[in-house]
Amino acid sequence: MVYLKWVFWGVFWAVILGFLHYTLPQHDIARITDTYEKRVDFGENSIFWANSNSGNAAAPTNRDVFFIQAFRTNGKPMIYRNEDTGWGWPPYFKFDTSNLQAEASDLMSKRSASAAQWVSITHYGWRNEFLSIFPNAISVKPVSGPDVTIIPWFNIILLTVLAALFWGIWARWRKFRTRREKRKVDEYTEGWG
Amino acid sequence: MLALAKLILIGGVILTVLYIALSIWSRRTRRGKLEAEWLVSGRPGDEDEFVDAGLKEYDGSVRRKLILGVYVVPIAVIATIVYLTNFK
Repeated sequence: MVYLKWVFWGVFWAVILGFLHYTLPQHDIARITDTYEKRVDFGENSIFWANSNSGNAAAPTNRDVFFIQAFRTNGKPMIYRNEDTGWGWPPYFKFDTSNLQAEASDLMSKRSASAAQWVSITHYGWRNEFLSIFPNAISVKPVSGPDVTIIPWFNIILLTVLAALFWGIWARWRKFRTRREKRKVDEYTEGWG
Repeated sequence: MLALAKLILIGGVILTVLYIALSIWSRRTRRGKLEAEWLVSGRPGDEDEFVDAGLKEYDGSVRRKLILGVYVVPIAVIATIVYLTNFK
C-alpha cells in the first residue's frame, strides 16, 4: 500500500508540474530561418492545437497554421506554431498571429548571414516529434546576441503567488482536520477524568 | 465571439459565487466582531440594536465595496494581458 501512495503522489505532482511547464511562458534565444504556413489536419493530437475561433469558424477539422522555423543557440532546430489563443485556454489572449508572423519574417537570419540576428521567442507548449506538436510562439523580440540572459519575472511572481495560495489552503485544511480530530477524541473520552 | 461569451459566462459564474461567499463571510465576521465589541464596551443597551446599527454602518462602508475587487481585478488583469500580448 505504501507503493500505491507513492505512485498516487508521483502522478499527482507529474500532472501539476507538467501542466505548469506546458502552460507557462518560456523564452528561447534563437535565430529565425523561415516562416511558412501549412495545412494541418488535426487528429488525436488536436488537444495540443489552439481552439480559439477568434472570429473564425468554430472547430474545423483542418486549417492552415502559421509556423516559425528557428535554430536555438545549441544549434538544434525548433519549430514553433503561431496560433491565436483567443479568449480560450491558456489565457494569453493572443489575437495578433498575423502581425507576429510578419515580425518573425522580418527577423529572419540564416547561418550564412554575416551578422546573425538573434531573437528571444516567448512561447508556451511542447515540441514532440511523435505527436507532431509544436510550442505556440507568443512574441518575438530582437536581442543583442546569443548569450543574453532573460530573467523570467512573470514565472517567478506567478509561481510564488501560487505556492503561497496553496500553502495557505493546505495549512488551513490541516488545522481544520486536527481540530476536528481533537474534538472527536474529546467527545469519546469525555468523563474519563 | 462564442469563445468570448463562454469566458464571460463561466468566469462570471465563478466570480459571482466567490463574491457571494466573500460577502456572506465578511458580514458574518463583522457581526461577530460587533457582538464582541458590545460585550467589551459594557453592554450598552440592547445587543441586537447595537449589532444592527453596526451592520448598517458596515453596509455603506468602503470595506464592503472592496469586495467588488473580485470582479475588478480579473478584468483588469485580462485587459493588461490583452494589451501586453497584442499591442506592445
